[in-house]
Amino acid sequence: MKEQNKAVWIGVEHLTNDPAYQQAAQEEFKQLPLAEIAEEALSTETSRRDFLKYLGFSLGAVTVAAGCEIPVKKAVPYVIKPDTIVPGVATYYASTFVQGGDYCAVLVKTREGRPIKVEGNSLSKVTMGGTSARTQASVLSLYDTSRLDGPYRITNGKVDIPSKKRAAGPTWAEIDKEISGKLKPESRIRILAHTIMSPTSKKAIEDFKAKFPNTELVMYDPVSASALLEANETCFGQAVAPNYRFDLARVIVSFDADFLGTWISPIEYAAQYAQRRRITDIKKAEKSRHIQVESHMSLTGSNADHRILVKPSAQGAAIVTLYNAVAAATGRPAVSGPQLSSKQADKIKAAAKELLAHRGASLVVAGTNNTGEQILVNAINDALGNYGATIEFGAASLQRQGRDKDVRKLVRDMNAGQVDAIFIMDGANPAYDLPDAAQFAQGMSKVGLKVSFSGAPNETTVLCDYATPTHHYLESWGDAEPKRGYYSLIQPTIAPVFAALGRAGTRQAEESLLRWAAGETLNTGAEQPFLEYLKLHWEQTMFRQQSNFATFQAFWDSALHDGVFESPQFSIQVAFSGDVSAAAAKVRKPGQSALEISFFETVNMGGGQYAGNPWLQEMPDPVNRCVWGNHLAIPVKWEGGNEFTALENLNNDEIYGKADRVELEVSSKKQVLTVVRQFGQMDGTLGLALGYGRNVLGRMGNALGQTKVGADVYPWMSIDKDGNTQYYAEDAKIVGKTDRDEHFACVQYHHTMGVTARDENGKVIADESTGKPLNVDEKTIMTIGAGMQGGLTKRSIIYQGNLKDIEELAHHIEEKRTEAEALNQQTIYPYEQYSKEIYSQGHHWNMHVDLNACTGCGACQVACIAENNVPVVGRKEVHRHHEMSWLRIDRYYFGDYENPNVVYQPMMCQHCDNAPCENVCPVAATNHSSEGLNQMTYNRCIGTRYCANNCPYKVRRFNWLDYTTADLFSINENYMDDEHMYTSDGLPFYADNLTRMVLNPDVTVRSRGVIEKCSFCVQRIQEGKLTAKRESRALRDSDVKTACQTACPTGAIVFGDGNNNNSEVAKRLGNPLNYVVLEEINVRSSVTYAARVVNRDEAFEA
Amino acid sequence: MTCRYSNKTKVSMIHRGLKTRIMLLLLAAALALPAVAQDEAAINAGKTLFRNNCAACHNKDMKNDLTGPALGGTEERWASYPKEDLYSWIRNSSAMINAGHPRATELWNQWKPTAMTAFPNLTDEEIANILAYIKCTYEGNCPGAAAAGGPAAQPVAPPTKPDNRLLYLGLFGILAILALVLARVLSNLNYMIQVKEGNAPAHRRTLVETLTSKGVIAFVIFALIVLGGYTTVNNAIKLGRQQGYQPEQPIKFSHATHAGLQKIDCQYCHDGARRSKQSVIPAANTCMNCHKAVKVGSQYGTAELTKIFASVGYDPSTDKYIPNYDQMPEADIEKLYKQWIKDNYLNDHDAMDAAGEELVQDQWDGIVKALKNPENGDRKIQGPIEWVRIHNLPDHAYFNHAQHVSVGQVECQTCHGKVEEMEVVQQFAPLSMGWCINCHRQTEVKFADNAYYKSYYARYHEEMAAGKRSKVTVEDIGGLECQKCHY
Repeated sequence: MKEQNKAVWIGVEHLTNDPAYQQAAQEEFKQLPLAEIAEEALSTETSRRDFLKYLGFSLGAVTVAAGCEIPVKKAVPYVIKPDTIVPGVATYYASTFVQGGDYCAVLVKTREGRPIKVEGNSLSKVTMGGTSARTQASVLSLYDTSRLDGPYRITNGKVDIPSKKRAAGPTWAEIDKEISGKLKPESRIRILAHTIMSPTSKKAIEDFKAKFPNTELVMYDPVSASALLEANETCFGQAVAPNYRFDLARVIVSFDADFLGTWISPIEYAAQYAQRRRITDIKKAEKSRHIQVESHMSLTGSNADHRILVKPSAQGAAIVTLYNAVAAATGRPAVSGPQLSSKQADKIKAAAKELLAHRGASLVVAGTNNTGEQILVNAINDALGNYGATIEFGAASLQRQGRDKDVRKLVRDMNAGQVDAIFIMDGANPAYDLPDAAQFAQGMSKVGLKVSFSGAPNETTVLCDYATPTHHYLESWGDAEPKRGYYSLIQPTIAPVFAALGRAGTRQAEESLLRWAAGETLNTGAEQPFLEYLKLHWEQTMFRQQSNFATFQAFWDSALHDGVFESPQFSIQVAFSGDVSAAAAKVRKPGQSALEISFFETVNMGGGQYAGNPWLQEMPDPVNRCVWGNHLAIPVKWEGGNEFTALENLNNDEIYGKADRVELEVSSKKQVLTVVRQFGQMDGTLGLALGYGRNVLGRMGNALGQTKVGADVYPWMSIDKDGNTQYYAEDAKIVGKTDRDEHFACVQYHHTMGVTARDENGKVIADESTGKPLNVDEKTIMTIGAGMQGGLTKRSIIYQGNLKDIEELAHHIEEKRTEAEALNQQTIYPYEQYSKEIYSQGHHWNMHVDLNACTGCGACQVACIAENNVPVVGRKEVHRHHEMSWLRIDRYYFGDYENPNVVYQPMMCQHCDNAPCENVCPVAATNHSSEGLNQMTYNRCIGTRYCANNCPYKVRRFNWLDYTTADLFSINENYMDDEHMYTSDGLPFYADNLTRMVLNPDVTVRSRGVIEKCSFCVQRIQEGKLTAKRESRALRDSDVKTACQTACPTGAIVFGDGNNNNSEVAKRLGNPLNYVVLEEINVRSSVTYAARVVNRDEAFEA
Repeated sequence: MTCRYSNKTKVSMIHRGLKTRIMLLLLAAALALPAVAQDEAAINAGKTLFRNNCAACHNKDMKNDLTGPALGGTEERWASYPKEDLYSWIRNSSAMINAGHPRATELWNQWKPTAMTAFPNLTDEEIANILAYIKCTYEGNCPGAAAAGGPAAQPVAPPTKPDNRLLYLGLFGILAILALVLARVLSNLNYMIQVKEGNAPAHRRTLVETLTSKGVIAFVIFALIVLGGYTTVNNAIKLGRQQGYQPEQPIKFSHATHAGLQKIDCQYCHDGARRSKQSVIPAANTCMNCHKAVKVGSQYGTAELTKIFASVGYDPSTDKYIPNYDQMPEADIEKLYKQWIKDNYLNDHDAMDAAGEELVQDQWDGIVKALKNPENGDRKIQGPIEWVRIHNLPDHAYFNHAQHVSVGQVECQTCHGKVEEMEVVQQFAPLSMGWCINCHRQTEVKFADNAYYKSYYARYHEEMAAGKRSKVTVEDIGGLECQKCHY
């Protein structure tokens, strides 16, 4: 039964109006750690250690107070100052973030020679200046204490790091000699890697091959597009992913392809997609229609207008149905294949109708790793005339090149003893990220020489003989070709960290290979041999593709400055030649089991490469909002409008921060998992993220691994007849509940704004006289004691509507805003006067967030953490509602209860001009600036937390513990895990000097006991203003951009001076879909949101 | 250090006192000898001119070469030519060289390629004054030379106020005794009245009893609390502040010499001030811009400058940077620079003696002490000089030099004091928040000159045009708001 709900909700307890939810929504501070500390303190026993501690403290305190001796601080200037560096001024270098097939052209911000932040490079036509969460977090991995500081031998599964601290390990010369000694010209060598996008790296491998002719490069991707490449090879003779143009598509049908989050080139696709999704003029409102066919709510699915729920195993049937519907209309032969239920088939046919109505301006994509299904998708696109329009091969993507069957062959060869040596490139972790990892590990024992280039130890490194770590990309020279003809350079932004500390240091993998091959192409005498090699290759190839520069040096300087060199090739005319009936025969048959499970990639963890990055671990998953681990998503049903049922009645206590743990059996392998209830999860299916459950993560990772974050799902995956990895399993079975996860870290119910008033039966309370929902605010004010404390009706948090009814939506917003304004006029405070006298001159900072463009990808969230030194707190602290993020992305559901639409709302300090937090601060630590900023002064804050209580948006964060180790006395420092997570030196995270190098020197590192919150990146505002003043000119829009704004791939966030009529933000403020969150409470916020509009059609409602 | 300073001040005070008296006595005689006074005026004028024009290249002791030759005895060397030749040489030396003047050619051959800057604006009288100053300095008979004997920029102590504390203390004591006596008299009189009226108390309170009475004790405790609180608060506010902080630096760099005497612009070395948050302590290679030429200091000889050479790896004997200096063993470094110090010692002495050996060793020890910092793990001579940071702001305070220097056009001296007069730099300002705020309250924004300010603040512009407002201070444009300095 369809139950439509016009309101938005965030979860089951919100719908049922659970008393616990009411309480949680009112309770600002959850589970104070003070209670626990007090408990400890109250214990009567005083140990000798305690006595010594207090004695030490008193002594220290007395010394400080009495002596007043200020420590002597040193200022160390350069001996010879590099011309490009002015201490205190940031220098930006263009470079490229590359991790396997993940690509982003970036500008790296360095301060005094250390990279502290990554921004998008707007000169790139691929990423258009956008970034992803992974890109933003990559700077932290440079300072990962897990990284190997030099080459090491590995014995018995352990890296031979000298046990004595700072003792010298083996030198490169020693290791080089040993490895070269084991290589013979006839050796059968395999180089195993994730996708290599770099033309120069491939050239280096070719040069290596010249010396060792029996070398083969094997590429694979943990989340593979193997079937897509094979299908394109079969149909068009092009074994690549084509160039998709989501910006030209008016109808998009995606079968399980998470193109906004993780599929092939998400930054590029998100930017293109958003162009057709935002609405600026409601009179000529247009919007593409996006239909997602899937079982689990993916990030892309959550943005879709319609989701057609289909089991993972029935994806093939869905594709066959769509093909037949399109073929029937375009006069192509129908194919026979598996069938969908009639209800599902009707929806697919409706999608076919949409597609056919927009031939040449539609796009069908599929994430499936079945070759037959991909060929059918190609046939559909061909029938729709999309080739040459929304799909072309000229600028085809090279971001997925891995072929599953190659790696299968490698595993066979290894086990057959036909491999003499294997080199495993950085990022690739086959002992973990292959479904047949066990066979791979077995095969490894039969290989003579095994070398790992991985920067930090992983599951595969420990199986090798040598660890010869490569540089982090921020220390490397290199290049990338993400799309044909789109080149991008990688340049180092810091001297290799460990070598500079006097250790043996890391060395670029390509250089190591060339040295072992002792080829003439590498000038080993040069200061930076690989730079020479790279330049030579560019001179011989890229330089010849252009005519703007006469000399190579000029060309090189320009390319290095821009970071990118783009010489797009002409589009390639292709003709479809595929056997559709043979393809249909290959299509998967829908499974018959009661429960199926799909394994999906998340925006933060990828295939597991990013597991060692705490920023990404702590970034809530956009859809299920859980952190630090993968959680088993189970479906929920909502029956009769007020009763919900979850699968096996699991997770009734999510609201209390507790979740059930179940034992799940797949292919007779069992694992224990924490459950999370997920709206939009198809009945009869489960969902689970891959990339978690890593065992070996280096030094910091060792500690992480003690409790193993999440579960490893690779062993549950299967391999089809073509050798392609399948990311689902048909035979999932919940064996039973094991125990409860007492530290269920899901931010879903943290910091909730507003509650819809319902009675205990879940019915909306209506005003007796009008019949309308009761306005509890008014009621409470009028008759004291009559209202319900905290029960608030219909607050304006989210506005959403359908494209068809957009005028109605705009009118509704206008009405509500007029009403709010009328309410707001009833004030005794002369706001108008302030506004005229103070805010009308100078700057007034405003932000605009377009909810139609926001896809919820989380790049802004990580960017904010990097820019503002926001601490990482760990799973247990998140569970206690102590996450510190200044910017959160709220996820709301609306529409159909069982298959809802989603709206993401980035929520940060709204910088209210009439801020409720400011009035209640007893020490005026938070107050207002003449530029409309809600200022927070940490050194004045005494930690009463009244402001956080009084903040209607719940954006203020309190440092309960010393997360940053910034306190004078080390007490209450925070270890990130339940079991006290120690890093290598037994230090809390952020205490290590290497980790601290990531801190932004322009932003105070907050200590324990103060409130902090979004500052609108005031350090950037001040810097922008100073630039304008020094150049004696008015401020430009480009002078001041917040970190979240620059990180956003879709341009959803715009920031600027609202007083300047020509600024982008001022223009956006005229959008008729704009509204202000909680406008009716008269806080005069500075952030405006544009309402979410979906493009739904009845044809899809069954 | 402090002791010596105060002694000197006293001596100069006595000296000055004496001088005044002598001056009074000799007033008549002085009037009778106007030529002498005139001479002194000329030499003083010459001194100023020398400092402004010549001192950048010529050593002020007139005896040693610097970028340009030592000037002592110039007139004797030019004696065989007409006076006008020397004058035109000073005004435009290259013209003289081109004209082929024999003395000019000789000098050019000796000093090329360095050419002397032209001073076409100097009048004959001014040149004469400079020459007079050079002559008397060289011969050591300038009037008032004794007073100028110490470091030239030694700040002249202002006449100290007489110390009246003893007087006040005495006065307070007398008054206290007086009060006590009067109180006693009063109480006696009271007692007598009581006796007269016949209702005298049985027991008369003694002085001790009065002093130990509840009222007095309560008053004393109250006074102690107030005084104690006041002192505590005052000292607590001062906690962490270090106005007047004047630590010893690894190199005895004299701002008085560089900024005061040589008039090198502050921002020549502190080149971050105009464009960065930090003013930037100059890198050692900035020092080398000048000290490639000036290899022996005027005050400390080789003692301090060799430290810079040892930091960057410059061999002053051969005027070359040492290749692969980073890998050079310490013994070699020691040998090299000791030789340099020794060579310079021999310039002034006939042969190496015990004092010379000791000097060489002392200077080398100084170099080691300045450049090595074992507690920080710096065990090498090579590498940066670790200066002691004088101006420290707490981490939560953001200060930007560029904002104040480039935009606000604030003089360096406003916050740093007369650095050009400091031998050893000390913290001039308290660097307290109150001090910052006061300045922001008073300082006028460069409202008219900067197009940025012209673009905004429409109301202030109107008010100024209407004459309702005379100035816009930093406070008026939000300079007191928290997040201007704390974020």
